Amino acid sequence: MEKQVIQSVGFRNIRENGEVTGFQFKIRLPYYRGIFLSQIMPGTLFVDGEKIEKENIVWCLKGEEYSNEEMSADFKTHWNPTECMVLKVKKPGGLAQGWHHLKYGFCFTSSYMPPIMQDKLDPDQESFIFMPEFGHHINERRLLIV
Amino acid sequence: MYTYNRKGPKRGVALYSYSAEFGLTKTLEDCFEDIHDMGAHGIEILANTHIENYPNPTDAWVENWFRLCEKYEIVPVEYGHWIDSHVVRGRDLTTEESVEMLCRDLRLAHRLGFTCMRTKMPVINGDLEPVKNWREIIKAALPLAEKLGLVMLPEIHTPSNLKGKMVSDYVDFIEETGTKNFGLNIDFSVFRTEFREGEHRSPNYIPNDPEDIIPLLQYIYCCHAKFIRMSDDFEETTIPYTRIVKILQEHGWNGYLLSEYEGADKYDEGYEVGQTLRKQHIMLKNLLGD
Repeated sequence: MEKQVIQSVGFRNIRENGEVTGFQFKIRLPYYRGIFLSQIMPGTLFVDGEKIEKENIVWCLKGEEYSNEEMSADFKTHWNPTECMVLKVKKPGGLAQGWHHLKYGFCFTSSYMPPIMQDKLDPDQESFIFMPEFGHHINERRLLIV
Repeated sequence: MYTYNRKGPKRGVALYSYSAEFGLTKTLEDCFEDIHDMGAHGIEILANTHIENYPNPTDAWVENWFRLCEKYEIVPVEYGHWIDSHVVRGRDLTTEESVEMLCRDLRLAHRLGFTCMRTKMPVINGDLEPVKNWREIIKAALPLAEKLGLVMLPEIHTPSNLKGKMVSDYVDFIEETGTKNFGLNIDFSVFRTEFREGEHRSPNYIPNDPEDIIPLLQYIYCCHAKFIRMSDDFEETTIPYTRIVKILQEHGWNGYLLSEYEGADKYDEGYEVGQTLRKQHIMLKNLLGD
C-alpha cells in the first residue's frame, strides 16, 4: 500500500458487457484505526476539474458494493486501515488515455471526539486544525490511464 | 502460551505508537520483533487497527497471533476498543446495541488471550464526559467479562484529573457494584508538568502529583506510559517518571506500563517510532531494574 491516500495501483476504466461504463480508483484510510461504513462521509470528486457528484460513486470493499444510503446505515461492516477501498465512478466512455488529475474529498466521524467537532465535519473542506492521525479530507493525485 | 512472571511494574508497548508506519512500512510481525528487541513482554493492540478482518478474524489469523506471541515472548495485555455508540449519524445506538458491540469485543479479546481492555466510551462534550448511559452499558456486560476473565478499563488522559469527577464516578461505580471486571487505565499525561512556549495546553488541565495515584492503585490494572520528550541521555523531560515508578514499586503495584507515543512528529518522513520507544525503554529498564 502506498502512503498517498489515492493509490496508483487500481486506476483504470471499467468495461461491462463490452462497453466502458466508467472508471475506478483505490483509496486507503488515512486514520490510525478502522471504521464502520456508517462513519464515512463521502464528498465530491473532481477529475481534470470536472465535478462528479457522490451519487455517481459506488464504494466497494472486499468485492461488495455499497451505495451512500447503504453505507450510512451500516455499522457492522468494518474498513480496516490496512485494506484499500475501491471507488467505482459512473462515466459512460470512461477516461481517455493519458494523464488525469484526481481530487477527492471524504472524511469520517469518531465517537470519542466531542460532538461539537463532529458536527462541523465536511468532506469537501479541511478541518480547522490538521491532525496527521486523521489525515487530510481532500487528496489529489495525477495518474495515467492506459 | 508464553507467560512472564515478573512481579511489580512490567514493560510493554502500545501498538498505537506505530500508527504512522503500520500497514505501510511495518507489518504486525515487525512491531512484535521491535518490542522483543526492547526486551519488553507486554503488548496493547487496537482491535480496529491491528486485527485483520476485525471484528471477524479468520482462524488462521488467530493462529498466527499466538505464533507471534510465542516467538517474540509477548503477553497479550490490553485490547484497545471503542464503544462506538455515535457510529451512526442522526441517532445514538440504543443501550442494547452498544452492549452487543461491547460483548462482541469481550469475546474477541478473550479469543486472543487478553486480560485487560482499554474501553473507550463515546463522549458528549469537550470535557470528555462519557455518554449518560455508560453505567447501563457496562453493567450489562459485567457477567460476560467475569466469565471470560476480562477487566474493562476507561483510560484517564489529559486534561482529565485523577481527583476529578470522571474518576470519582468510575470509582463509585466500582464500589457500588463491587466488580473486579471494571477499573482504570491511567495515562501518564495526567502527570505532565513541562510545556514549551506555544505548545498546546488545555485551559482545564491541572497536573496531578505522582502521589495522587496511590488511592487509585487498587483499581488500576495497567497504565499508558505516555512520554512526550526523551532526551538523548534517556530522561523523560516533561513527566516525573522516577517518582511515578518508585511509587508503583513501593506500593507493590503489579501490572504493565504500556508505552504510548502520541507525538505528531511520528508522521514526519523517515521517522522511526521504534527508536523513540527504545529511548523510553532504556529509561524504564533502568528505573525498574529489569
